Amino acid sequence: MAIRIVEKDDYAILNYCAKYLARDNADPRHNFFGRWSDSDVRARVAESWRFPLIDGYSDGADFEAGYAFNEVTFVYQDAAAADAAVVGTFANLYEPLPLRRVADTPFFTLSIVVPKGEVHYYKFLVGGRALLDPINPQQKAMDNGVAWSRFFTQLASEPVSLERWEIAILGRLSAHILPFQTEEGRNFLSRFYDGLDAAARSTQYARAYRLDQPVGVVNFIDKLLAREENHRLADYRVCLRLIDRVLRQRNPYVEPALMPKEIYVELYEQMAAGAVPGWSYAEYSNPRFFLQLLRRHVFTGAFSHPKYGGNAGGAAWAYLEEKYRDREGHTLFDWRRIIEKPLGESTEYHG
Amino acid sequence: MQFDVIIIGSGAGGAPVAHTLVNAGKAVLMLEKGPLLKPQYQDPRGLSDFKRDELFATGPEKILNLDLANRGASFFSSHIEPDLNDEPHVYRDAQGSDRATIEGYTAQVVGGGTQLYGGVSLRFSPLDLALASFNQERSDLADDPGGDVKREARDWPMDYAALEPYYCMAEKLVGINGTRANQIKPCSEDHYQTPLAANPISGLIAQGMDALGMKRYRTPLAVITRDHAPSGRKVSSDARTAFVNRYGDPLGYKSNTWVALLSPLAARPNFELRPNCAVTHLDASGPRVTRVNYRDAGGAARSAEAKVVVVACSAIESVRLLKLSAAMDWQFDRRIESNGLLGAYFLTHSFGGADARMPGRYDKSMTLDSDWATDFCGTESFLKANGLWAGATIYNNTSDRALPISLARTHGAQDLDNIWKAFVEDTSITGQRMVQFLDESFGTHLSVTFMANQVPLRSNRIELHPAVRDKWGRPAAYIVKGWHAHDRRLMDVMAEQCAKILRAAGAVDEPSKGGVYHDVSRIANHVLGGARFGAHPDDSVLDPDCKAWQFDNLYVTDGSFMPTSGSGNPTLTIQANAFRVGDVLLNRL
Repeated sequence: MAIRIVEKDDYAILNYCAKYLARDNADPRHNFFGRWSDSDVRARVAESWRFPLIDGYSDGADFEAGYAFNEVTFVYQDAAAADAAVVGTFANLYEPLPLRRVADTPFFTLSIVVPKGEVHYYKFLVGGRALLDPINPQQKAMDNGVAWSRFFTQLASEPVSLERWEIAILGRLSAHILPFQTEEGRNFLSRFYDGLDAAARSTQYARAYRLDQPVGVVNFIDKLLAREENHRLADYRVCLRLIDRVLRQRNPYVEPALMPKEIYVELYEQMAAGAVPGWSYAEYSNPRFFLQLLRRHVFTGAFSHPKYGGNAGGAAWAYLEEKYRDREGHTLFDWRRIIEKPLGESTEYHG
Repeated sequence: MQFDVIIIGSGAGGAPVAHTLVNAGKAVLMLEKGPLLKPQYQDPRGLSDFKRDELFATGPEKILNLDLANRGASFFSSHIEPDLNDEPHVYRDAQGSDRATIEGYTAQVVGGGTQLYGGVSLRFSPLDLALASFNQERSDLADDPGGDVKREARDWPMDYAALEPYYCMAEKLVGINGTRANQIKPCSEDHYQTPLAANPISGLIAQGMDALGMKRYRTPLAVITRDHAPSGRKVSSDARTAFVNRYGDPLGYKSNTWVALLSPLAARPNFELRPNCAVTHLDASGPRVTRVNYRDAGGAARSAEAKVVVVACSAIESVRLLKLSAAMDWQFDRRIESNGLLGAYFLTHSFGGADARMPGRYDKSMTLDSDWATDFCGTESFLKANGLWAGATIYNNTSDRALPISLARTHGAQDLDNIWKAFVEDTSITGQRMVQFLDESFGTHLSVTFMANQVPLRSNRIELHPAVRDKWGRPAAYIVKGWHAHDRRLMDVMAEQCAKILRAAGAVDEPSKGGVYHDVSRIANHVLGGARFGAHPDDSVLDPDCKAWQFDNLYVTDGSFMPTSGSGNPTLTIQANAFRVGDVLLNRL
């Protein structure tokens, strides 16, 4: 497997090291109240989820061709190490890729090109030992019990945080929040996805879109809980289990994911009121708080850039584009004009 | 390299000084705490680190984990604002509790706050620089029973005529579009670029201002609309997108100080920019600052020396740096704190405005930050008719709530500290009600803002917090401030003027209006004062050249020099003054 390596200037690497990693103070300022033990490096550094860094890729010439890829930058911090390398599923596992030291700093780095929509596992090799990435919170134990560090590129749709049954319940709850379960919304989505051309279907949209999710927001949440808001994964774990239990109590004969809409509407209202019959308050004291969290995540997932895993193909933007028009029929949300190709039509912005 | 000058900070206060000195052949080292993020045209990949991405302006949830009253609170910051847990600003709330806030930062990046600002580039008026003289004989000031306003107002130690050539220089070199007619700020050279077409919704504002006899002009914006020779920037598309305020510009059309002033110098052998380097303290020997101590990108302790040191870290951080240096050296302390004024008279703006739903719907995604402005509330006659000590500029905001996520996260939000709050709590907005919410708010609202002087009070101040420390173990900045009763009166008068414009513009509902006097943390990122300049060493921290009185080679050029905060957004005035100080330094080097 030929790996494309990107040469980056030192300053471009240090742009991400100084703010998040460099510090004197060893207080556990970023432990998220117990998410990390106070001795864990992730309790000390800011935004550990950023590592490895996932960014857009381009060769500087063909921006649409580059759009199918991400640039992935590994950073390993160790002032004492003589050298460091990375081995991972993005290349041959027997072939370590060396990291270079950024001059006069404790940082080693390597940037590679990885297709969008992929999930990979890796370890650092330092002084002959294989190490998990000490900063990246994402780890996964393989079938043989051995843990590896993990990253995923943009538009990945393979679940990394949530179980299938959790995804199913979340899809139903999200559907009730968003406007797409109205008749108008459903009609729009059918037209939007039916109208995609074959090329679009086989490229980015195919990876991103899951028919069982309203515009992909559950995929967005699944990825958000692995990276940016990993500290909220515990809330989802507990609350989805409690919701599953409540729903089964109400109707023991139907799988929660298949229950009628009215059951979810009732549950939503009860959570909003903070009083859910059958809820285990000892395990999670405030169902309304979880609903508020979910509202923020669902709205963000629906309307943020599709690279984050929701808003598949810009469907939610296109909904606004179609819905709001002037008397002459011109759209009043011309997002395509300002968003990069091939998602949008900007003649200058590259994403 | 032997440096003539070290400049700490690369934003509006630092970059103009560098521009003047480097072009004159002086050796300049610039230290910047934040990263160097470039626009597309400077990147070999053709990609920028700034994106048209709503999650860049207001990112994922973080949670405050410091021993303060709002411990456990969520906060949502831009990718180039500091992490509150690492570099907190603490303020004392109205109940006397200490809280951290995301308000009051500019940005930590090469270019500083000019990377994120909306680009509104107003001049201050001649009156703004002479408020002590203007108010000295008055007996009509409202809500000022103690005579504080007259006692605390200060004239600047230079008049408008002295600053005016530097306004011209800043407007030319930074790259600003706007129109001049109907401004009350005299101008000797017009360097404005032609504005782009106003967003159609702003046509309503023009109608409203006209109906009220408010003479209007296109809001001066630091965005180029055609090729800009001084910085070598080219324009090949329409700069109007709603990714303006709180967004860096991936195309470099927004005239931040990196693309406008610094990148043209980047290849010069006499200029060195070190990004990702946080200055920790200054060393001095007698009246001379001898060394600038900083941490490099990896956290290693470094130092640098030069003949002159210019501090331009934005007002709160500049005052903090000087106080941290003083805390480590009693002789430094004795000089910088000689009259006890360092940190005192911290200022922001009295600001606020009105918002209303307008008839029809508009595509607000095709816009810059503002289209129309008026100086109607800045004239002497208006101020005397209303018993006010100082005026305001009023302008409309076009880019607010123009994009879908911003619609939700700023729904009912008063400031950056309670973003998302109203939307997540209003659980009735769901399903069909979500459709209604979008119908009622997407492309339908218009807001009008006023920006006015705040009464200077010695009790409004920047200190070092006694307990909270940053990630380097240094005391955090502590902001203690409140509003004067006259500020409240002024904000009420100005907010009503904004509401009048919206009514005259045909607002569908009665506008909501108000000022920020209910909340001491509101700062609008306009951090000013704390090291004011003046004509007398017993009444100011800096002399008229912005040199610290008791030092020979220490200058401060960010907004902290201001003794009053002006009737408009402060960036252009900070830039103009920094160009002026650049000339002062040229004469002495």
